[in-house]
Amino acid sequence: MESQLWIILLIGAGTYMFRAVSLVLGSRMQWSERTKEWLSYVSPAVLGALLGPLLLLNDGQWVPIRDNTMLLAAIPTILVAWWTRRLLLTVVSGIGFYTIVYYLM
Amino acid sequence: MSRQDKIALALKEVLPIVLAYFPLSITFGVLAAASGVPWYVSVFSSVWIYSGGAQFMLISMIETATAPVTIIATILLVNMRHVLYGATMGPYLAHWREPLKWLAALGLTDESFVVTSNRAAAGERLTPSYYLTFALAAYGSWISGTIVGAGIGGIVPSEAATVLSFALPALFLALLFGGERTLPHLLAACTGAALATLAGLLNLGGIGLIVGGIIGATAGQMLGRKRIKPIRS
Repeated sequence: MESQLWIILLIGAGTYMFRAVSLVLGSRMQWSERTKEWLSYVSPAVLGALLGPLLLLNDGQWVPIRDNTMLLAAIPTILVAWWTRRLLLTVVSGIGFYTIVYYLM
Repeated sequence: MSRQDKIALALKEVLPIVLAYFPLSITFGVLAAASGVPWYVSVFSSVWIYSGGAQFMLISMIETATAPVTIIATILLVNMRHVLYGATMGPYLAHWREPLKWLAALGLTDESFVVTSNRAAAGERLTPSYYLTFALAAYGSWISGTIVGAGIGGIVPSEAATVLSFALPALFLALLFGGERTLPHLLAACTGAALATLAGLLNLGGIGLIVGGIIGATAGQMLGRKRIKPIRS
């Protein structure tokens, strides 16, 4: 419990510093194009790194494709995200697809 | 435009975000409760972190008993994207008083950034009364949803909680495929996914996220530069 509070404190402080320092500095100077460019690739890279194990593994073990409820639900979810670009709609339909796959398998 | 008009405009434009945040943070509260996180810890994380992706990741990593150092390093790496948001928004707030800039930074979430930066890029002057109303409404929605979710978490059946757990991958998919989707960005995502999955198979845990994030971003940038060069020269 105590460690959970510490983790939250540090993550919150770090996230706020990312937001605040870059904003305050950004209001005074221009960032190098190269840095901005690299930063724009960090999000997709980390999101991919989060999704890979989440969708393909279970407790560090490979899940065969036809038994993989997560991956099967992810495919239509990706299509919804791609076409609508809407956060809430994607999350709600994703949960819907997962419910269907979960009860069918 | 009077101050009242600016506040009214901000409330009108923040409404879709308020509507999206509320159920999402209820889901967060419910999942946190189902994972045994006490209600005040989940509410505290919404007040103090205020970053949906980070908070969902935090629950799943607490559940799998990931080492605290790995949790903090991974989530901060994911949230490094906020540096990009701050750097982009900064110039638009150059005429603001200093303390107000520090206050504005609090509300710089993925979705708020997308809406307000589009507005500023279209030539609109961002005033404190517009921007801060916008930020506070979204923040309030996120916190109140968490309180509701944490409150009803105990009475939600475990099957519903299992199904709701797909909210996290769905959120990541929404952020990934709703954002920039050029080939270099997709390469960054695939490289990250491949390295993190490989690390998972080798039982290296959270290191895969950090390595995947850094190498994936670098790979994406390299491909991006390669593709731009012939056009420039």
